[in-house]
Amino acid sequence: MRSHPVIELTNLSKMFGYGDATTIALDNISLRINKGEFVAVMGPSGSGKTTLMNILGLLDTSTHGDYLLSGQNVGNVSSRKRAKIRRTKIGFVFQSFNLLGRMNVLDNVSLPLMYGGKSKLARLHAASRLLKTFGLQEREYYMPYQLSGGQLQRVAIARALVNRPSIILADEPTGNLDTKSSEIIMHELREIHKRGNTIIMVTHNPTLTVYADRVIHMLDGRIDSDSSERKVRRRNSKRSLGGAVEAKK
Amino acid sequence: MMWLSDIRIAVASLKATRVRTFLTIFGIIIGVASVTLVLALGEGAKHSIKSQVALAGGDVATVRPGKLSRDQQGDVTGYDILANFNASTLTENDIQVVSTTPGVAAATPVMGLRGSVSGGKHTIEDTQIVATNSALPQVLSQRVKTGEFVNPDINRNTVVLGDTIANLLLDSDQTTGQQVTIRGATYTVIGVLAHSDTPLALNGLFDSNMAAYVSLDAGKAMNQGLAQIQTINFRAKDGSDLEAVKRAVTARLRAEHKADDFAVISSREALSVTEGIFNLITKYTAGVAAISLLVGGIGVMNIMLVAVTERTREIGIRKAVGATNGQILRQFLTEAIIMSLVGGLAGVGLAGLGAFAITFLFALPFTPIVTWGIFGAAISVSLFVGVLFGIFPAIRAARKDPIVALRQLQ
Ligand SMILES: Nc1ncnc2c1ncn2[C@@H]1O[C@H](COP(=O)(O)OP(=O)(O)OP(=O)(O)O)[C@@H](O)[C@H]1O
Ligand SMILES: [Mg+2]
Repeated sequence: MRSHPVIELTNLSKMFGYGDATTIALDNISLRINKGEFVAVMGPSGSGKTTLMNILGLLDTSTHGDYLLSGQNVGNVSSRKRAKIRRTKIGFVFQSFNLLGRMNVLDNVSLPLMYGGKSKLARLHAASRLLKTFGLQEREYYMPYQLSGGQLQRVAIARALVNRPSIILADEPTGNLDTKSSEIIMHELREIHKRGNTIIMVTHNPTLTVYADRVIHMLDGRIDSDSSERKVRRRNSKRSLGGAVEAKK
Repeated sequence: MMWLSDIRIAVASLKATRVRTFLTIFGIIIGVASVTLVLALGEGAKHSIKSQVALAGGDVATVRPGKLSRDQQGDVTGYDILANFNASTLTENDIQVVSTTPGVAAATPVMGLRGSVSGGKHTIEDTQIVATNSALPQVLSQRVKTGEFVNPDINRNTVVLGDTIANLLLDSDQTTGQQVTIRGATYTVIGVLAHSDTPLALNGLFDSNMAAYVSLDAGKAMNQGLAQIQTINFRAKDGSDLEAVKRAVTARLRAEHKADDFAVISSREALSVTEGIFNLITKYTAGVAAISLLVGGIGVMNIMLVAVTERTREIGIRKAVGATNGQILRQFLTEAIIMSLVGGLAGVGLAGLGAFAITFLFALPFTPIVTWGIFGAAISVSLFVGVLFGIFPAIRAARKDPIVALRQLQ
């Protein structure tokens, strides 16, 4: 397996508020994530998982420490540059889907391409092709309110993928879904992972960690445990377990 | 290409809140329409005056009571408008003096009165009565359509009517010989003037199509025997130098009056003064009208601020998928500009309709004109209003922190 670090955090901290009201959301975190990894992030509420995802996705900046993305320091690049990196390298999947309610499915999926300056025809074409792989081609002209939660999340995943980003950041992607829909979403994510994407997924559901090849536990803004550091061997057993689930289907 | 997407998104957003978009645009429409209408009225009045000068030619001048102010170049900057309302310093003798000055072809006084005029068909409660002499058509380039013009040698109790008023008062087949009553006294119609397309005369600002013309003696009889002569207009002989004739008239009148209580102005000079006055009036009125445009602009800003607050989450989502601050700014600015531009276009359209309605309802002696210049100004002003009042909400939208924006509950 290749192991280029696509994400490298060094002594990274994030504080919210000032003075007595300061919250330390991330406390001196160091983390390397290699290209092609599927990382599950777990931990109790308030442990800093979302904060970590926001910083990884360049929606937020750290208070201290360094963040190298594909070897490039992105800690203090301009907001314009950060928007461009979000658009080209990162795809977000949120717990609450976050589709634009006034746009149909096709327009929602093609939105990232618009900000990349693609022509309307090219972006609708790309979005349509992608929706087909998700089995959603009949829903192209549906409005978000006409879709089920599982369908909405698949549309959101399609949107995250439309720019062919190398990193997918999913913050509790199955948090609002039932077991059946969760399973479908996890299969989609695994397919994406198989195609070589790096996936970082926050989840509260321990059973979903079987899809991941690395599990990070967070506690009070720190990394409490990291499966890749404890037992490298276990990764292989996890892999076979993931394979077993697929075989069962 | 990107602008096309901006416009598409903006239109979609504006459509989503149809009613309030329309109300906001309506505010701009009213502002732009009132400014445009004022400018169009001013333009129409100026145009009317200009064409009268063109018609009168370069050899007509006017003697007015009151002093004249000139700047260092000798250009007329203004005259004592109030002189028209005081006892005039011009006398009947002055008419004689002017008309006998060498180089003067003819001179005609204008004594303006107002009063009711009634004929067989109709009564007009308040119209312009002009007491003058027989030289008026020649000096002011009016044409007699039927009959003849007032002539004190024939009969004091005769009247000549403007074209419009004649149609209103009389049965049209046989106008001359009919009786009309002016301020209670009976007059015989001896003639009707041809319709004038530029009826707003330079001198007393009367509408020649709506005026009743009587002899100076008749005018005096209506005014306790006093001649309140507002202007004496004269035409220089063909081939003579108007400036030289003006100097001669001035010298002779000064010798008579022994005072500088009158002014001699060529129609060209009168034009520049009148134009200046109209420009001033137009500017001030347009300034007042612009306040409503300001209010419309504030409406745009208000509604855009509401939109930015309501759509905070949308802004967060757009930023998460890679929109730059600049792209968000453009999206919201485009919405504001579209509202103000659409309002501007509709406002100019409404002003056009309004101009038509005003001309029609108030029987204006001139037609308001929406020139390309006014059209361009209205559109650029509404563009400016859109940018001015849209930029602040747009900057607010662009500066939203995506983290905070995404956390907004819907
Ligand atoms: N914008 C903010 N301002 C102040 N404090 C914040 C802000 N965002 C997060 N925090 C604090 O930072 C800490 C970590 O929050 P975070 O959202 O990362 O937790 P989480 O692990 O995602 O929790 P959950 O599992 O409930 O989603 C919490 O104590 C939270 O109150
Ligand atoms: Mg969270």
